[in-house]
Amino acid sequence: MEELKVVSETTQFIVIQLGDEQYGIDIKYIDNIVRMQHITRVPKVDAYLKGVINLRGEVIPVMSIRIKMGLEPDVETKSSRIIILKLEQQGTIGVIVDEVKEVVTLENDQIEKIAYDSKDEKDNFLCGIGKYDGGLISLLDLNSVVLESV
Amino acid sequence: MDVSQYLEIFLDETNEHLQNLNTQILSLEQDPENMDTINEIFRAAHSLKGMAGTMGYKRMQNLTHDMENVFSEVRNGNVKVNAGMIDVLFQCLDALEEYNTNIRESSDEGTNDNEPLIKQLNAIMNGEDNGTETADAAPAAKAEETTATKDSTEGREWLDINLNDSQRTVLKEAVKQGKNVYGLTVKVQESCILKAARAFLVFKAIEETSEIIVSNPSAQDIEDEKFELDFSLIIISDATIDKVIAAAKGVSEIEDVIGGVIDMDSVAPSDTEEAAEQTPAAQETSMETAAVATTEDVKAPAPAQTAASAASAAKKPAANKPVVNRTVRVDIEKLDTLMNLVSELIIAKNSLVSASAMSGTSSQAVNEQIEYLESVTTSLHESVMKVRMVPIESTVNKFPRMVRDLQKKLGKKMELYMSGEDTELDRTVVDQIGDPLMHLLRNAADHGIESAQVRKERGKPEVGSIFLDAYQDGNNVVIEVRDDGSGIDTEAVKNKAIERGVITPEQGENMSDKEITNLLFNAGFSTAKVVSDVSGRGVGLDVVKSMIESLSGEVEVKSKLGEGSSWIIRLPLTLAIIQALMVDIGNEKYAISLGSIQTIEDISPADVKLVQAKEVIQLRDLVIPLIRLNEILDIESKKNPEDNLVVVIVKKGDKLAGLVVDELIGQQEIVIKSLGKYISKCKIISGATVLGDGEVALILDANTLI
Repeated sequence: MEELKVVSETTQFIVIQLGDEQYGIDIKYIDNIVRMQHITRVPKVDAYLKGVINLRGEVIPVMSIRIKMGLEPDVETKSSRIIILKLEQQGTIGVIVDEVKEVVTLENDQIEKIAYDSKDEKDNFLCGIGKYDGGLISLLDLNSVVLESV
Repeated sequence: MDVSQYLEIFLDETNEHLQNLNTQILSLEQDPENMDTINEIFRAAHSLKGMAGTMGYKRMQNLTHDMENVFSEVRNGNVKVNAGMIDVLFQCLDALEEYNTNIRESSDEGTNDNEPLIKQLNAIMNGEDNGTETADAAPAAKAEETTATKDSTEGREWLDINLNDSQRTVLKEAVKQGKNVYGLTVKVQESCILKAARAFLVFKAIEETSEIIVSNPSAQDIEDEKFELDFSLIIISDATIDKVIAAAKGVSEIEDVIGGVIDMDSVAPSDTEEAAEQTPAAQETSMETAAVATTEDVKAPAPAQTAASAASAAKKPAANKPVVNRTVRVDIEKLDTLMNLVSELIIAKNSLVSASAMSGTSSQAVNEQIEYLESVTTSLHESVMKVRMVPIESTVNKFPRMVRDLQKKLGKKMELYMSGEDTELDRTVVDQIGDPLMHLLRNAADHGIESAQVRKERGKPEVGSIFLDAYQDGNNVVIEVRDDGSGIDTEAVKNKAIERGVITPEQGENMSDKEITNLLFNAGFSTAKVVSDVSGRGVGLDVVKSMIESLSGEVEVKSKLGEGSSWIIRLPLTLAIIQALMVDIGNEKYAISLGSIQTIEDISPADVKLVQAKEVIQLRDLVIPLIRLNEILDIESKKNPEDNLVVVIVKKGDKLAGLVVDELIGQQEIVIKSLGKYISKCKIISGATVLGDGEVALILDANTLI
């Protein structure tokens, strides 16, 4: 019983690098992490939608978090990865990240919720800040990251 | 008891029975004297009742019970079929449909008792049968009929059961306690799919009133479906044999239940051979008592009636064996998985082809094997597709009933003629085509067909005709809804369109009749002068059109004022795998469905003319607009502008357009994959496919380009 309780109070995140910052993605949404591959461009869609890839026979859309967040466009390097997310509403989507660092386990008191009144567009994509090993991780709110901009 | 695992089967079967009832009652209306139809209806109602009963849906059971009673009276010639009765019966079907929907949604039948309907049913029964027979007489008469017509030991397989000593003691003990010992033989219908499940339900039903001592084959064998069409039981019960038989018969797909009292005294205690010889004799006597018991319940049926029921009983086995192919019910999801696997296989095959081409070491042997693999995958794909194909029958079968209802509602005379119900389409398409078709039929009935008076004045037969024709045309299936009504009044449509602001009066002047009729597919367009609840709510043809387009189909209308109109729906045979032409545009590869391609032309840039600042080419006296795909798709063309253009001529309905591409790659069988909801904005792309080298190519939707 005691152990179960402990488990329920922690969340695991995958730490990724986007530019100079580290972001955390809740591990429960992650289906897979694949290497960068050729992305087939889809015409006439928003710029942040980079196109589609073939993941074992399935066609999966890929988006750029950088463009969506208003950062510099992605530069493909050896460490670039596509993280395949499984979301309830939007289905399966890949997001491009600069680098995948590690998996961290955060207890709930290590996570600070952030208020939504921020004017900074970038902050709208966050659902909290995690404190870990003296560093800070911005925790991504995947639903708003993936949400179609109107 | 827990029957939830049978819920799916129950719902499916109920649907089938309801559909069957609908059709049969319709034909009964045409031919009220047809005994076959009446028997068929009776059987369907009876099975429905039994099924509802076992599943514990009491209200549904009550209603079907009363329907069954009415038919039982009809069958016995006590009640004549008339229009009023048919109407009530149809209402009953609607009520049953409602129960079924409720059950599907919430696994509960709802709380509507449908009292008025039951009263009406009872009125039909009592109004004309002089009250000689009560409702309860019907099942009893049925029981009597079976016991009376089968007076040989045939079918009494329970007599073959050999009892061991302990069982014999149990039985004797029971007799001493004043309980009855019965033998039962249950026959399952030949068409029954889940024999074990039915047997289980029979066991459950019997166990409610009785205790099962022995069964032959053993309970385990029955559970494992290790029995032919019948099984026998010896039971101890407080209830009368009739009740037990009725309980067992309540289970659907049970052809017959025969039962009798076993006289324990005459069963020889030790020698089994002797016992086998003696039991038939004992049976004779016990059978007699059983028969007497049942006839007492019924007020001495007239000899003529017995003869009639005997005749119908004789007919029963013949009619009861529908000529069905041996079939297996398969979950559509399993089929989808199979289809996906076949798609994977085709992709793998394509990869193999391109890999062997890449390596450059393609020997004769490799090529031959690849060709062989290709032919196997193609036929595998075809077979899987055939499995997914179902006749549109299931969808269109409800239409005659609907038209009949419309006829009453609208006060017009009309007749629906259907052909090609056996035309097959992909299951998903068949499931979704119902609504658009229903809409078109309603339109035809409401707007198309004139009232009898007007028709007479116009020199047409008073009864209007609506046709629903389905047939296969190449890789498409065409469904045509046609009527001989008033046709489309293009002037009225034009005025309405101008009034609604859909077009300007100037535009209206220059429009051809065809263009005007196409206006009907605009959203919020209804020309009916009176808004009826049949059609004319302003949401109509546009929905029809978008639904059909979502199935990758198209719809067009042809009409002649005063002579009628016809709506033509074209649907692709399958949605999953198509033949496509692969083309290069810039550095990207695209697929164009072969179905929409007319020809491929090589055009010199000098032949491209400008009309209203748009590029066109002239081809065999036709002026065809050019669409430069690289511009539409925002790609930089690799081609030298002075080189000849490669133009793919595509067709949509009567319209043609020339798509300019950089280069042709070739024809390929491709598997259509959805781009997903996430990228739905791009209308010109209808999907994607995975190529042999694992790359994704997009499929261009030629229809939206034109």
